[in-house]
Amino acid sequence: MAERAKPRQAQDKLAFLLSLVPYLMDHDRVSVSTAAAHFGVPEEQIREAVRLIGVSGIPGDTATYQHGDLFDIAWDDFEDNDEIVITNLVAIDDSPRFSAREAAALIAGLQYLSALPEQADREAIATLTAKLSRGASADPSQVAVEGSEADETLALARESVAKGVQLSFDYLNSQGQAERRRVDPLRVESVDADWYLRGWDHGREAVRTFRLDRASNPEITSDPITHSVSDVSLPDKLFEGSVDDLLVVIDVAPGAAILLADYIPDNADTVEVDGRLRTTVRVSHYHGLKRLIASMPGVATVVEPAEARAVVAEWAAAGAARYAQ
Amino acid sequence: MPAEGSTTRVPVEERLFSLVLALLATDAGLTKNEILSTVQGYSQKYSHSGDNSNLERQFERDKDDIRELGVPLETIDSPGQAGNNQNLRYRIPRGAYELPADISFSPEETALLNLAAMVWREGSISEQSRRAIIKLRSLGVSTTEPVLSYAPRVRVRDAAFEPLSAALEKRQVVRFSYLKPGEAEPTVRTLAPLALVQHQGRWHLYADDAGTPKTFLLRRIVGPVTTLAKTFPAPPPDTKDRALLELEDVWNRHTAIVEVEPGTDAATRLRRRRGSSVAASGALELHYSDTNIFADELAGYGPEALVVSPPHLREAVRARLERTAADHG
Repeated sequence: MAERAKPRQAQDKLAFLLSLVPYLMDHDRVSVSTAAAHFGVPEEQIREAVRLIGVSGIPGDTATYQHGDLFDIAWDDFEDNDEIVITNLVAIDDSPRFSAREAAALIAGLQYLSALPEQADREAIATLTAKLSRGASADPSQVAVEGSEADETLALARESVAKGVQLSFDYLNSQGQAERRRVDPLRVESVDADWYLRGWDHGREAVRTFRLDRASNPEITSDPITHSVSDVSLPDKLFEGSVDDLLVVIDVAPGAAILLADYIPDNADTVEVDGRLRTTVRVSHYHGLKRLIASMPGVATVVEPAEARAVVAEWAAAGAARYAQ
Repeated sequence: MPAEGSTTRVPVEERLFSLVLALLATDAGLTKNEILSTVQGYSQKYSHSGDNSNLERQFERDKDDIRELGVPLETIDSPGQAGNNQNLRYRIPRGAYELPADISFSPEETALLNLAAMVWREGSISEQSRRAIIKLRSLGVSTTEPVLSYAPRVRVRDAAFEPLSAALEKRQVVRFSYLKPGEAEPTVRTLAPLALVQHQGRWHLYADDAGTPKTFLLRRIVGPVTTLAKTFPAPPPDTKDRALLELEDVWNRHTAIVEVEPGTDAATRLRRRRGSSVAASGALELHYSDTNIFADELAGYGPEALVVSPPHLREAVRARLERTAADHG
């Protein structure tokens, strides 16, 4: 793996060098910190790249990299003031094109976002797609994602986040109980076709993640939020474990383990038993577990505790009984 | 300063950067020998009298790495020496390298593209979107505000995604074992991969099977994907859209009638499913792509959902619930 990683790093660095040069050309004098902020990289990465650019060039007529065949920078400004001024340019005039796969990644991402409330302007997305296609060095790769559906709850969730006001809605927990919830909406998230709202739950006095397809009768209020993203810690992971979680041992077919990845704690022991993986999942209660396991019939089985097995068995048997009538 | 006879090791990125600069600066092109003997990073290792086969292999790998970044490295015959491999000349034509001058992105467009790039968090597609954003920033457009209030993501967790997307790009034929539901053993398929599309949260391969386009679910691919040396011609640019349309068509044609218990999770979520409607009987009318996958989903609702029709879906859900009950008895 380490050997595979190496050329990628070099490729990344090359892409960065080829992108940094035109940016520096357009800015007669720019500080290292400004450039770093613009590219979203550490300042030292800019300095390293500039040092390399400053001694690079073309072999030239003499094939010996004479002074005029090299980039040059104002070294004093760079060393003393952390500022970049390019004084001699070589070979590069403009920004590079996107590769076919780079353009395709952005186009497919745009397509996925097309249902977001403020992206309703399909014209703008079509224009951008056309620009990316024309700006690629070859036809963009054939990768596509179905656009998600525009949805009233999603639209209101997004609007409340943008306005910084509280949102209330009916929400079913996985025990099947409906409750009116009032939240400070902080971030709209998604995984594939599923959309979530993360926010500060006034009733629970904690950050919660809500599946938008479980929320109904949303109502946007005029009350400003009391907690903002900077007040609470919103982890990058959508599904966070909690100390109250229940641990359940399951057997899962190796090919299906990936479907449970969100539920398997990082430190879980996984062993092979009769061609299946025996591992641990964490759930907030068995009501969530029974739904999960029943949706993976023949593929995932609860081993212990017995109580969890019983909850799943009862749920599936109650379902099967409806077909016997 | 680069100096002849220098023994210091030249970093890989410096060699690649020097190669791109040298090939951009030449109209007539450089022969391999000219490159290896003069370009920074190669010249230090070049032997004027001996064997340079290691260096030549290095050059071959470098060419691939550079092309992968979308740099159009091309070969041309030397004047009057067509077909002579030793005298092939390499260059990077400026027009094909540079982003066309009339393409620009507004701050709003740049912000939207940043968000589109965020969609990818895993695998090589996330590296490619990251690189695309670096190139975009090269244009110097600053965005109005960082997008913190959205975190969209599309997953690429199927192990087959990486090898298939690489084969798709190189238009190479692939071979893998595929397990169709209801069949005991997987069968080996040899196919030309035409497109990778995500529909209803699942990745599908659209591929040519001896002249017939077919769709395969990535999660049903068993074991590794083998990429063969055999290549095939590029499919039309709208192939991915056709693949999505075909999936949409299948989805539209499959209709199920499902009774849901009011006030339950099944009632709330199935009602909100795309395209769902309430039939005259009060039951939900739902669309789906694949009987087995939809049966899994419905089985998860246990007693909250009862399939009325079609019969094979009803039977599939019943059998699943009985299986789960038996497995946990």
